[in-house]
Amino acid sequence: MDIFSYLLNNPDRVLDLAIEHMKLTGIAVSLAIVIGVPIGIFITRYKKLAAPMLGLASIVQTIPSLALFGLLIPFLGIGAKPAIVVLFLYALLPIIKNTYTGIVGVSPATIDAGRGMGMTDMQILRMVELPLALSVIMAGVRVSAVINIGVTTIAAYIGAGGLGQLIFTGIQLHRNHMILAGAIPAALLALLVDFLLGRIELWLTPKGLHK
Amino acid sequence: MPKKWTKILGVVLVGLLVMVSLTACGGGGGAGDGKPDTIVVGGKTYSEQFLMAEILSLLIEENLGVKTDTKVNLGTSVLFEAMAADEVDVCIEYTGTGLMAILGKDLVTDPDEVYNIVAKEYEEQYGIKWLKPWGFNNTYAMVMRRDVAEEMNLSSISELAKVADQLVLGSSHEFAERADGAPGLQEHYGFRFKEVVNMDPALMYQAVAQGEVDVISGFATEGRIPAFDLVVLEDDQQFFPPYHAAPIVRKEILEAYPELEDVLNQLADFFTDESMAALNAEIDVNGREPDEVAREFLTENGFI
Repeated sequence: MDIFSYLLNNPDRVLDLAIEHMKLTGIAVSLAIVIGVPIGIFITRYKKLAAPMLGLASIVQTIPSLALFGLLIPFLGIGAKPAIVVLFLYALLPIIKNTYTGIVGVSPATIDAGRGMGMTDMQILRMVELPLALSVIMAGVRVSAVINIGVTTIAAYIGAGGLGQLIFTGIQLHRNHMILAGAIPAALLALLVDFLLGRIELWLTPKGLHK
Repeated sequence: MPKKWTKILGVVLVGLLVMVSLTACGGGGGAGDGKPDTIVVGGKTYSEQFLMAEILSLLIEENLGVKTDTKVNLGTSVLFEAMAADEVDVCIEYTGTGLMAILGKDLVTDPDEVYNIVAKEYEEQYGIKWLKPWGFNNTYAMVMRRDVAEEMNLSSISELAKVADQLVLGSSHEFAERADGAPGLQEHYGFRFKEVVNMDPALMYQAVAQGEVDVISGFATEGRIPAFDLVVLEDDQQFFPPYHAAPIVRKEILEAYPELEDVLNQLADFFTDESMAALNAEIDVNGREPDEVAREFLTENGFI
């Protein structure tokens, strides 16, 4: 059986599932950025909290995603909601860690220079630390997003939909073309997202720092 | 706290609020506001369940004119939790599974008694109603290659028990853990397999047919048993309970759509193990899609 036959015969179904997939991962990663970056910044100011915070995020990362999905069912039910909660938790670690590492890695001499110019703490954050830490932070965001697209396939096990639906049903029915119809778009989405985030990073980097 | 932090905390709080509202807002959508306009049909992780979900879906859409949303690939306990949480409205469950895996009760072998127990407990404890069984008994079965079984002279599980310490069992994840699965089976018949290998139900039949495992925890109505020249060993000491398949529906849905009960009961006692195995074979052996097989079956028999 032609390995692309499912993809070619059911383009709308694959597209619908791909959109559903991107919604899940998009919301989860966006929330992880909105919450994770501030937390990352926060722990650079209150360094005593850094180790416990990073430890907590790491622990969540090590719990197998399928287990976490299953454990939350009595509280959050099945479907998109609990899936997004779990995916959000999985997206946090790379983002928090890289925000922290990026900012801590900014040379103290540069920060001193900023203070010398009379910058407030917020100005130093906005104009010195974040731009210089940007490439490390974005690396964290990109890793997080790409991995998240993969973890989202498992959300199909709790009825959240997405491309995982095709993969698992394809495994059950022994239809390789169905498995590929789920796996290939997921891989392509990951590449596309990584590319787009790379562009965004370029756009956010001040001209002076362009390599 | 320095002023800048109130701004950053503000952003974090907004994010958290969005999360909370996302998780909270889904709850109201389903049950509360009058007649739900979509009925959610659930299904487990194998072909027969995919087929059942499609059949339920078509029956509801064509006979009641109500939209359905199918959610398959849910494990037995995930599916049950989902029904208890009002996230899934209807599915096909097996009486023995309800008795032993969900309710955690001890083995009962009389089919009617099992049905009465699960019907009563599900209704009282969970507000879920068991409708009339559809006529097939999809019991767990010890399945082997015909030629191997004949060579070793095995036709029943008691005979299997004597040589089991030389044999490898290919078991589904559920079977490996459930009381009505490998642990209970080995205790009841008094043996231990040489090794129990966990595998996905989809891969089991191929695995035993190719000799990668010696025996598997198969399903009695599986189309691949006749297709791959496999045999089912007789459960001569009656370990497995009956697993009669029947639709189970949440009471709220029956109250909103009382006609649903009659629609689904149309198929009461309609199937036999053989007819179900034949339908499953269409999907697993002939490679047809579950929704196509479901539609053809229902149209040919005048249900839609």
